[in-house]
Parts: sequence; structure tokens; C-alpha cells
Amino acid sequence: MKDFIVTARRQKTEICSLIVCFIIAFLLNVYAIIAYDGKWTELYSTIFYLLIFTVALYVAWTVIRLIIFGIIALYKHFK
Amino acid sequence: MEDKSKTIDRREFLKDLGMIGAASLFAATPWLSAFSEVEHTQKEKIKLAIIGPGSRGKFHMMFLSKNPKVEITWLCDIYQPSIDSALQYAPNAKTCSDYRKVLEDKTVDAILIATPLDTHCEIACAAMDAGKDVFCEKSIGYNMEECYKIYMKHKETGKIFFSGQQRLFDPRYIKTMEMIHSGLIGKINAVHAFWNRNGDWRRPCPDPSLERQINWRLYKEHSKGLMTELACHQLQVGTWALQRFPEKVMGHGAITYWKDGREVYDNINLIYVFEDGVKMTYGSVISNKFYGLEEQILGDLGTFEPEKGKYYFETVDPAPAFLQMINEWENKAFSTIPFAGTSWAPETANVNKGEYILGERPKGDGTSELLAAFVEAVITQKQPPRIAEEGYYASMLTMLGHEALVQEKTMYFPEEYKLDYLNHKAPKKEETPEETV
Repeated sequence: MKDFIVTARRQKTEICSLIVCFIIAFLLNVYAIIAYDGKWTELYSTIFYLLIFTVALYVAWTVIRLIIFGIIALYKHFK
Repeated sequence: MEDKSKTIDRREFLKDLGMIGAASLFAATPWLSAFSEVEHTQKEKIKLAIIGPGSRGKFHMMFLSKNPKVEITWLCDIYQPSIDSALQYAPNAKTCSDYRKVLEDKTVDAILIATPLDTHCEIACAAMDAGKDVFCEKSIGYNMEECYKIYMKHKETGKIFFSGQQRLFDPRYIKTMEMIHSGLIGKINAVHAFWNRNGDWRRPCPDPSLERQINWRLYKEHSKGLMTELACHQLQVGTWALQRFPEKVMGHGAITYWKDGREVYDNINLIYVFEDGVKMTYGSVISNKFYGLEEQILGDLGTFEPEKGKYYFETVDPAPAFLQMINEWENKAFSTIPFAGTSWAPETANVNKGEYILGERPKGDGTSELLAAFVEAVITQKQPPRIAEEGYYASMLTMLGHEALVQEKTMYFPEEYKLDYLNHKAPKKEETPEETV
């Protein structure tokens, strides 16, 4: 069986993507607390929901990237 | 592991209630003072007779036989199979079919009465006259006159008197009342109590000639049916929460389902009305058990359901802002757009899981604590405050409700049966000329 090799660059890119997703989730939480008159303690008390949302964002971003790369690959294949 | 029913550890009992100290507890529920000398009575033992060791009597014996401070010395019943079955809990007990034989035994300290309702008064009064302390199953008397007679006999003889109102000793109810009386759910405007079952309420009868003896709960000459057997417990909970008694009651009863020759109602509904218009309703049917039993105590800030062991606040904390936002996005993305929404939506019950009163699911019903308290009271010869009065009024409200059902009239609490207790004042006795001299 052939080994997959995840390059250091790829790892760095994925970790950055995950951090960006978490920052987006965190900022959305700040917005929600202001908009829905929530408590500031929710910044840490809802961390579990934020982590789930972060993963969901990351998965969505991955799917989008796969679609984009797929289209580019198809385009190159038929060119 | 020690069986909890064997002894009542005062510290454990308080821990169950989540109380820091005993002072506030004894102020609100002074009958718990029965346990105040529990550590000094370890070497004492009372001789107890069980009059009527049928199903309820045996249930009590189950706890009493494990109490090292109790020796069951007599079993008395006119139905021999009940005695035979009860001997498993007290194999050395003497047996008889006439309670008077028990009362003649000078060594007997106390008796427990679990006979049909119509026999309570005669046995209880005779026992107190014979110098015995009495535990009497509820309702204490067959009618208001009998209830009053029993209570006055207790006052006159000074003998210990307890009735089978086990919720008075149930940690869940004690905690409930502490929380209610502290104002946690605001002003109570209504109590809705109900007890629903789906069954004919019959016990197997080996011989038709024994029908009225075994299924005594179904016949007027022995019982007042659902009122005396079920309502008696729950009406006491309502007045305990409100700390006063209603002034009148109205209601209706009928046999709507079990038309099998029984004489007591299988479907009842009553409204007890307090002086300020606050109401306590009571309902019972035995042809549907979906809602089971409950006493819903409704305050303007919250609701207690002690049978479930839960309480609910009217306003609950909103979901975290983040979830509200996600929920709104979901609604915008997936919900249909109404062309013309309803102008009225049914106000169905709140979906509110509430909180456990004792922080966990209810366990036990206070019976073991009640019986242990009675034993302690017999040993110390100290009648705990308010216990006899709570039993008396629970039975009296039951009888008053029954009269309302039978007469189909609004019934007022009779002045002559009022005691100096809570919002009631006993009528002043008219002074006879001899007394004034």
C-alpha cells in the first residue's frame, strides 16, 4: 500500500485554516453576545459549541476547496 | 451495609434535606423533633401490636420489623390469611381476632391500626383509654364526628397519636415546603392535586361471602372510597403548602366506569376554596392512569411537583446567544414562509425540564421515617407538635369533600370542629352557670 505523504507546508496550511475557522467562530460568538444580549461569560462557557462550529466550518471549507481543486483539475485535463 | 430503614440517623436525614442546621428545619416542621433524642433511645424497645395486618399493615411491618427499637408482640385480624402472611415479619407474635384482647395486655405500649376505615374510631379510642399510644392509618375516622372524637381522646388522655400521613416525613416534601415558604415560587394561587389509576381497585376474593370484608374500600359502610384512601394524603400537602385551611368545598362524584356493584365513586372532582379565593382542586379517576398522581403547587414565579420531585421556574434562562443565532439562521434557511399565520396559538404546557428538589430522583415516600418517629415518640412519651393536628385536618377536609360530593352542595367547614390551629380558631365553649360560679 502506498504511503500518503503530508508535507510540512500542507500541515501548516491546514493548521492555519483551522485557526482561522476558530477565530471566525469566536468573532461570531462575540457578535451573537452583543446582538442577542447574552452574558460575556458565554465567551468561555460556550466553548464546546464553538469547537463544534469550528470543525463544521473547517469541513465546509475543505469541501469547497475539494470542489475548486476538482474543477481546476478537470479543466486542466480537458485543455 | 446497614439497612437505612433500621435506624434513622439524624445527621443523614438532615443531609438528605440539604440543610445546614436543624433550627430552621424544626421551626417549619416541628414534628421532626421526634428524632431529637434518637441517640439516647438506642437501648429502648417498645412492644407494639398490629391491628389489621392486611396489605397496608404488612407494608408498615416491613419497616417496623427492621427497627431494633420495636418488638411486634401481637397480630390481630378477623381474617386469618392476613395473620398467617404477616407472621413472616413477626414470627413470635401472639395472634387474636379481637382487638380487646390486645388492649388487655398491659405489656403492650402502642398499637398500629390498619383496619377498614369504619373501625378506626372504636379501636383508637378504646386503645387510648387503655393507656396505649396509637398510630392510626388515614383517614382517622369514618366521619367528621369520629375524627373529632379521636382527636379529643388524644388530647384528653395525653397518649401519643400519629396518623398515616407519611409525606410529613418525606425529605422531598419537607424540602419542598421549606422552599415554598421561603417565597421561591412567589404567591401560591392554586394547587391542583390529582391521583389517577387504571384498575378496578379490587383485591382477589377467595369466597364471595368475604367480598365486603376484603374489598371494604368499595363499600359505603366501610369506606369513602377515593376521598379517604387517596385524597387524604394530597389535600394535606395543599394545606401544608398554603399554611391554612379552606373555608368551603364543592364538587361532584359518580360511578362512570366500574359499574361492578361497588358503592363508592370511581370519578370525583372537587374545588376547595380559601378565604381569599385561592383554590385547591382535587380530581381522581380510576379508568386512566396517564397523568398518574401529582400535587401541582402553582406560584406566580414557579411550580412545584413534589411527586415527581421537581420544581420549575416560570421564566427560564435563555439559550446561549451563539445557539440563538445559529437557530435563527436555521429558521431563515429552512422554515417555510407563512402567507397568513394564525392569530392564536395554543398555550400548551411549557417544555421546561425543571430541577430536582433534592438534586436527584425521589426515593422512598417517608413511611419509614414516619414509623421511626412514632416509635421515638412512644419511647420518649413526647407528642411531636402539630402531627396530630395535621392528621386531623387532612381527614376532616376529606370528610368535608365527601359530604360535598354526596350532598351536591357547597359545604363549609363546621365551626364546632375547628381547632386552634393555623387560620382556624376553636369555638369558645359556652360557660355553664356552674362554671361561672
